[in-house]
Formats: sequence, structure tokens, C-alpha cells
Amino acid sequence: MSGVEDIFRLLFTANLWQATLAAAVLLLLPALGGVISERSGVVNIAMEGMMLTGAFFAVVADLAWHNAWLATGVAVLAGALMATIHAVVSIQFRADQIVSGIAINIFAAGLTVFLVNRIYGIQDIGHVTPSESLPYINVGGLDQIPFVGKVLFQQNVVVYMALVLLVLVHVVLFRTRLGLRIRAVGEHPQAADTAGINVYLIRYSAVITSGLLSGLAGAFLAIGVSNTFVPNMTDGRGYIALAAMIFGKWTPVGAFIACVIFGLGEAIYDNNSIIHVSPYLLSMLPYILTLVVLAGLVGRSTPPAADGLPYVPGSE
Amino acid sequence: MAHKQFRFLGVVAAAMVLAVACGGTSGGGTPTKTFKIGLVTDIGGLNDKSFNHLADVGLEKAKAEFKIQADVKESKSGDDYVPNLTDFATKSYDLVIGVGFLMQEAVGTVSGTFPNVHFSIIDGAGTDAKGVDLKHSNVQSLFFKEQDAGAMVGVIAGWLEKNGKAKKNKHVVGAVGGISIPPVNHYIAGYKWAAKMEDPSVNVLVGYSNNFTDPAKCKGQAQTQIGQGADVIFQVAGGCGLGALQAAGQGGVYSVGVDADQKDADASVIASALKKVDVATYTAIKNVVNGQFQSGALTFSIANEGAGYAIDNFDPPAELKTELDKIQAQIKSGALTPPADIP
Repeated sequence: MSGVEDIFRLLFTANLWQATLAAAVLLLLPALGGVISERSGVVNIAMEGMMLTGAFFAVVADLAWHNAWLATGVAVLAGALMATIHAVVSIQFRADQIVSGIAINIFAAGLTVFLVNRIYGIQDIGHVTPSESLPYINVGGLDQIPFVGKVLFQQNVVVYMALVLLVLVHVVLFRTRLGLRIRAVGEHPQAADTAGINVYLIRYSAVITSGLLSGLAGAFLAIGVSNTFVPNMTDGRGYIALAAMIFGKWTPVGAFIACVIFGLGEAIYDNNSIIHVSPYLLSMLPYILTLVVLAGLVGRSTPPAADGLPYVPGSE
Repeated sequence: MAHKQFRFLGVVAAAMVLAVACGGTSGGGTPTKTFKIGLVTDIGGLNDKSFNHLADVGLEKAKAEFKIQADVKESKSGDDYVPNLTDFATKSYDLVIGVGFLMQEAVGTVSGTFPNVHFSIIDGAGTDAKGVDLKHSNVQSLFFKEQDAGAMVGVIAGWLEKNGKAKKNKHVVGAVGGISIPPVNHYIAGYKWAAKMEDPSVNVLVGYSNNFTDPAKCKGQAQTQIGQGADVIFQVAGGCGLGALQAAGQGGVYSVGVDADQKDADASVIASALKKVDVATYTAIKNVVNGQFQSGALTFSIANEGAGYAIDNFDPPAELKTELDKIQAQIKSGALTPPADIP
């Protein structure tokens, strides 16, 4: 019985919400990538692989050059490179986008383990020192606000970046001409093509952007939070981001809300040493919440009309 | 249609190029009459910083001492266990070693097919699909008393709390486990038991990350415990646990590594609880070379130096050293028996 009380009490601590936001951002970045990609009509389930690749190259670059920003740049590029493979396979060669996505996820898992062996031998890959990792920044003045200061203004630099990106993606998608074009390509590429929009260019850019964002998430995980690389360390976040995207009805804000719910579940779970509830039960919490919210509040979630359909110029 | 198939072939060709590029070569042996030892890793691979790595260290040590040909096969997935074990067995290796509990069923199957080949399995037995030990006469189980190692680091944690030598000294210490399974819980059982023995008022927080690969998850668990005043964080979660060590470093408290010596993982690591898989592997090979292979269980503990601890980034006070030596001697002699289940 006291377990429910424990959770209730936790909900009023700033620590919990601070951890929630950090966990949510690790999901939000790939989810935003998914939103952009799928809004343009390319199904993308490869965020997991792109994030893992980003995480790996962030650590490799940081260990080599001792510069977190340079390493983040490398991670973002690595994510984009994986995304380019997905783009070429699914846009140019019109292959099945789900298969291509799965292939990338499996390829990334194998590639990173293989490279760990090749570059570092059987030794420990090593760890990034805190001074070489992505910094935690307290926003002067604002961080002293009770409760809110700790939750919103004592975070890793990537958390702030992600919140800015959330607003940016929302504005671009729904308030600009470019956003209209992206959505047009995802809903009806033939019509968009007729109107003079370069369908391939828009789709390539959208998919590669999803790689950039997933790579950034990988860098945050590896050299912001963990400060090391462990094979498969992304632990399914790319897939949860996918769920968040669908949960959020392919909108940035909806996806963010979903990510916060998943993040909250994770943050509550982190307290299982002081909550008197079975850890197994506790780990189901975010998913039970999802089912309840999906069934009760969100209702039908409809993807963009041309999502997953390769575009053949001149076709009906 | 033909066009589509062509595209598919292109993808296959690209994959094959990658596969070929990624293929490695395994070391060849000497042509003279030598013992042939085959090691099959579980899905963790040789660079897991833990079991598989230590098994390889034991293999290398044996290679340096005895006239053996040592070969390693890394398993990429659970489907590789049977083929990898079978490959060594068909080539009449003198001993085939499987690393890890996950290979139990594979070892059970292959040892039944090749009754004349000796098998050793770390942390498991040769079982059927239901996990029942088949008790094949050619299979040897290498088990560990993790609670012995856990107890030694528990002594350190409890002693620091009792004597006010830790950072906050609120009589709270923590342990972050991966998944609540026997090998993990044995460590935590010994840790909690010994910490309580040293400092009866200590509160031992136990959390499970439900994970062995994601450092962020263990970091969260450890941060909670540090927030509760924990001074020492014992990680029992493999790669995930590296995050717990990080959290201790950033939170300004001590941490304890697991399985292998983790002193380089973080400056906060004051000790490591050791499961000497290298000693077990080496011993198994030595027995085969000396013609002393025995089926059944071989247990490694403090008593036969197959379990223990290492002092890492920490200079222990003389009284603590004395206490550690005393407890270790008592466990060795059987005067003290750390429990296998969390008290």
C-alpha cells in the first residue's frame, strides 16, 4: 500500500521532474526526427540505429580529440550518414522502408560492436572525463526559482537545445512554406510534384534531418549522460521514440507530451530502491500509461497519407 | 518485377561485401601434438569488460604455461551457441568452454551429441530446454560464490559508515543491480550482510535497473540512492553499472565495481568485487592438461581464491585492512558464511 504513497510523494519533488525532462529529451530528439521524416512520406524506424551510431562515434571522437562539441558534430554526421543510407534505399531504390529501417538498426548494432573490437581490442573502450563531456549548465538567475529552476534551468546543454529544436520543428512544419511543402509531399506527392515541388529533394532532406537529430540524441546519451560507450546502450529508445511519434499523432508537440510521459515513467522507475513496489511492476508503468492515454484520450492516430509509399514520378 | 529483384540483389551484394570486410581470422596453432582448447563467448563478446574478457585472460594465461592451441569463437546471437560449440567438438578439441549461463541449453545439447569431448561451462550446467541439469559425464560446471566477493566490499562500505570515514556518514549505502537474478542477488546478499555486520545501523538501499547495457538507467538508480544519503554505491549491473560509477563520481561519493577490477572506470571506484572467471578458466584447462577433468560442479570462492576483492582508487586505513584480512580469513576457514539470498 505504501508504494502508491511513495510514488505520490515523489511526484512533488523537483528531482523527479528534472530527471523526467532529461529522460524525455533522449526520446524527443529521435521522435522529432521521426516526425519530420514521416511527414515527408518516408517511414523511419531506423532512429535506434542512427542514435547508436551517433553514441559510438561521439565517444570515439571525444576520446581522440578531447572536445565534446567536435565529438557531437561527428555524432550528428554519423547519424546523418546512416540516415542517408535509409534515404537512398527507400527513396531512390524504392525498397520497403520498414525492411530498410530494420536493416539499419541491425547493421548499427553489429558495426559498433565490430569497431569497438577493431579500434580498442578487447580492452575497455575507456571513459570520457566530465570536463570533456557535454556540460550541465545552470541558467543564471532562473535556476534559483524554487522547483521550476531545478527542473527547467539546471539541465544538460542538450536539453536546452532540444527544447529550442522542438519549437523550431513545430514552427517550420506548420508555419512556413517549407513545412507546407514537406507535408504536401507526405500527403500527396503527385500533386506536390505537379505544383513544382522537388519531391526527392524534400524527402532526402527530411530523412537526413532525422539522422542529424538522432545522432545528437546519441551524443547526449554517450558523452552527456553516460560518458562511455556500451554496446546496445540506446536500449530501444529509438523504438520508444517511434511510439511517442505515433502517440503524438505525428506532431512535434504531441510527441513531446508522449516523451514526457515515458520519461516520467523512467524517472519514477529510477527510484525503485526507495519505492515499495516490485521493480517489474514499476517498469511497466509508462507502457500502461501509454495504453490508457492512447485508448482513452488520444483516439485514432492517422499517419500522413503517402507515409511509406515510394514516389514514382509520373505515376498516378 | 525483374527490376525489383535486381535491386534486392544489390542490397545483398552490399551486405556481403560488408560481411567479408568484417570477417576476421582466428589464430592458428602449432602443428606438433598439443591440447586443443576452444572457448565460445556468449553474446557479450570478448570486449564485455567482464566474463568473456576474463575467460580469455585465463585462456591466455594457460596458453603461456601449457602446450595448448587456444581458439576463440564469439557468438553474435543466441543461435550461434550450438554451431560454435559443435564446430570445436567435431574437430575433436580436448576441452570446449562455454562462457555464461545463457549457454546452458546449448552445452547440454552439444555435450549429448559428442560424449567423448569435455565441456566446461561458466555459471551454468549442461541442461535441457527446461533448464534441468542433464548431468552428462563430460560436462563440468564452473560456479562462483559471488556472496564471498560481495561480503568483502560490504565490509568496506559498512566500516566506512560506522567509523565516519565516508563522505556524508548518514549510515546509508546503496547497491544497483541489473536484473534480479541469482548471480546478481548473491553479490548484493553478501554486501548487505557484511555492511550490516560492520555497522548494524546502516540502511542498505537496493535498486534494480532492469538492464545490463544502458549506463543512463543505472546512473538514475544511483542518483536516487545518493539523494537518499548513500555514501557507497555498489554496481552489480555490468555495462549498465558503469553509469552508477559515474553518478558516484559526480555526486562526490564512493563506488564499488563488480566482476573485474574496475578501478579505471571512474575515480570514485574504491574497490571491486571480483569473480575470477580467469582463475576458473585457467583451472579447468589445467585439469584437462593434467588429465584430471571432473564432471559436475566446481565452485570458486574465497577459499580457493576464485572470488575476492581489489582495493582501487583508495588508501584504506590500517584498521580497515586488518578488518578485511580478519573477515577474509574467517570466510576462508568457514567460521563465517555469507548468505546467498539477500537478508
